[in-house]
Amino acid sequence: MKEKLKHIKAALAGNPNSGKTSLFNGLVGAHMKVGNWAGVTVEKFEGYVRYKGYKITFTDLPGTYSLTAYSPEEVIARNYIIDEKPDVVVNVVDGTNLERNLYLTTQLMELEADMVMALNMYDEVKASGLEIDVKQLQVLFGCHIVPTNAVKKEGLNSLLDHIIRVYEKDIIVKKNKLSYDLQIEGAVDSISNVLREDAELAQKYPARWMAVKLLEADQLVYNQVTGRAVWLNTERVVKAAIAGNEDAPGAGLRARIASDRYAFVRGAVKETVKGPLGEKKSITDYIDAVLINRFLGLPVFLVIMWMLFQFTFKLGEAPMGWIESFFAWFGAVVKDSLPDNELRSVISDGIIAGVGGVVVFLPNILLLFLGLTFLEATGYMARAAFVVDKVFHRLGLHGKSFIPMVTGFGCSVPAFMACRTLKNRGDRLATMMVIPFMSCGAKLPVYILIIGAFIPEGMRGNALFGIYLFGILVAALSAKLFKSTIFKGESEPFVMELPVYRLPTAGSILVQMWIKAWMYLKKAGTVILAASVIIWFAGSYPKDTAGAEIFEGSALEAASLPEDERQEAVNRLENELAARQLEHSFAGRAGKAIEPVIKPLGFDWKLGVALIAGLAAKEVVVSTMGTIYALGDTGGDVSTLTERLKANPDYTLPMALSLLVFVLLYVPCIAATAVFHKEAGELKWTLFYIAYSLTTAWVFAFLVYRTVLVFSA
Amino acid sequence: MKLAELQRGDKAVVTSVDSSGETGMRLIDMGLVAGAHLKFLRKAPLGDPIEIQIRGFLLALRKEEAARISVEVTGHMGDGVPMGKRERKGRMKGRRHEGKA
Repeated sequence: MKEKLKHIKAALAGNPNSGKTSLFNGLVGAHMKVGNWAGVTVEKFEGYVRYKGYKITFTDLPGTYSLTAYSPEEVIARNYIIDEKPDVVVNVVDGTNLERNLYLTTQLMELEADMVMALNMYDEVKASGLEIDVKQLQVLFGCHIVPTNAVKKEGLNSLLDHIIRVYEKDIIVKKNKLSYDLQIEGAVDSISNVLREDAELAQKYPARWMAVKLLEADQLVYNQVTGRAVWLNTERVVKAAIAGNEDAPGAGLRARIASDRYAFVRGAVKETVKGPLGEKKSITDYIDAVLINRFLGLPVFLVIMWMLFQFTFKLGEAPMGWIESFFAWFGAVVKDSLPDNELRSVISDGIIAGVGGVVVFLPNILLLFLGLTFLEATGYMARAAFVVDKVFHRLGLHGKSFIPMVTGFGCSVPAFMACRTLKNRGDRLATMMVIPFMSCGAKLPVYILIIGAFIPEGMRGNALFGIYLFGILVAALSAKLFKSTIFKGESEPFVMELPVYRLPTAGSILVQMWIKAWMYLKKAGTVILAASVIIWFAGSYPKDTAGAEIFEGSALEAASLPEDERQEAVNRLENELAARQLEHSFAGRAGKAIEPVIKPLGFDWKLGVALIAGLAAKEVVVSTMGTIYALGDTGGDVSTLTERLKANPDYTLPMALSLLVFVLLYVPCIAATAVFHKEAGELKWTLFYIAYSLTTAWVFAFLVYRTVLVFSA
Repeated sequence: MKLAELQRGDKAVVTSVDSSGETGMRLIDMGLVAGAHLKFLRKAPLGDPIEIQIRGFLLALRKEEAARISVEVTGHMGDGVPMGKRERKGRMKGRRHEGKA
């Protein structure tokens, strides 16, 4: 049975919001894997389905409006079609938005791909009273067309049938060719005739397509042709054609070519679509009249963002508690069941504690992704970018930057990944650099500890709010700085579709959420595992043997104490030993080594140790402080630590504020830094980002410390 | 007249587009080519970007980008405009004639 399966390689191409992803999910179900396109941070989805003795694999190409050479998505999509030569290209077209969707189809026609068109959202087309003459549309675009409703999984089998027919060359529709105006056609003919002289090249790419692309001044096609012998003649013909046609400086030809494509599409739509005309207001019009209204637009945006956070953090609280207690319990079980040695220590104090520290944020991450995916799928996200773009534009960023930045309040890891929506490299790197200043969830326990110890009761809420606000301010200033210096001039144009509002299905949202959450776990999980072991090692070695001996002696003395005092004395001794050990360890030495650097900020070596440990994960700052003040395992109870901090005469309000600022701004955890590195792609940017955040943290902490010192003196 | 100068509810036809560079390519890819009909829907709450309807879909673009597009007004959305705004609409029309002269 198995060897009889014939293998068909299919690719899905289509506009963003055409329902391509739903169709892909509907076709392949659970047989799906997520990866990356080589060399770029664009997700690659692949899957397969077995159907009527065929194994059809689908590659979901990135959603694009066109196939020019400007964005990585477009280059991926078109290179895949040209280089990988899929057996069938499935062009997913939103039937309710034919005119724009079919523009991409004209370009797929030019690539001479074997194509099947999925005329998606066909139920909506019919519901709106429109009738599409599918047969005629098939003739015009020269491909099989199958009406589908991806969300309801209707028409999928028929689509598969047609994919097989095209594969088996059992084709009923002849390919069609799009014609341009006479002048352009003449130029295309003469250029493609010259190009055909190079048989190897013409074998690889359709000559007509190359000719059109050369007229459009497509850089990638130029690069393909210039190195070859045929270029000598080609260049002459192309130059002549451009000289004869370029009426306006710049790219008049391009506009004319696009114009002809659109004219073809418009003609086709006029010919095949019948139904009620006129200006009927759609549901989207009514919703937009409120949501992006001149007066309500901003308040609505703020309320939605506020709700997103309430949803994420309030709903996440309980499961976070469960996960926390699970890992505490699990660590204890492991401690009890293993002999007291180094292995036990690395497993329970290193690995379990470290991985627990990541997994504990999973509820928040899942909920945040759930909310973001929902807003994205309904169509509101694009509106949000529309509403806030002016603010971001002032900073030199793009409206779309706000999604990663909002995500940054939850965790920098998914925020860095969310920067993929920014196409321009300068925009992307600048946004990534400032994301750590959006105070992440793991920093909250640190703020609560410090604020609880040093800020008067009535001011605590304001202090917390102030810290978040300060982070946003530093992020804004940094973005402005980056975009007016190192990333100057590079900016993505803001030309964005506002998709019609749609209520997404629960299934599609959950799948999207799960994909993102899984990527978070995979990335953060592996790095944090390594990081926790390293931090554990740094805190446990070298061994403080002298301290252990003293402890043994004192423990013997304690043995003579009465029963009730003994346990307490042993606990105290153990905690003191832990503190001594930490001081003696590499981490402790490092803390002491950096003391001169952090002294101007009002910090001592103990805080130095805590800050270094915080590189593993920010909330570790609190537990490390617990250890170094010999409090033993304080668990979730920070009150004793708060008392201890208050009692320390070296710790004052100026120092506390300086510490707050430093924790807010200094390098995020190792996991986040590793993800930054992966997403940024170049070591120099990672180093720059580490240096920048450390410098910023130091400078602002210093300024705060000195200023408050002056005023409180 | 430039696309960015249109008023809420204006209908217009594109007369020319500066299609150079990436921005130009984006604009023409979204269907902003000479001869395309569009409707000016609104400005964002902070005044920029703007939203238009073109080829049956909604498109947002910054004024900076819209400045590359020249249009000619062909009409105005009459429906849905509250009575109180009629007068203002008339005034706008007058101004437009002035601009053309």
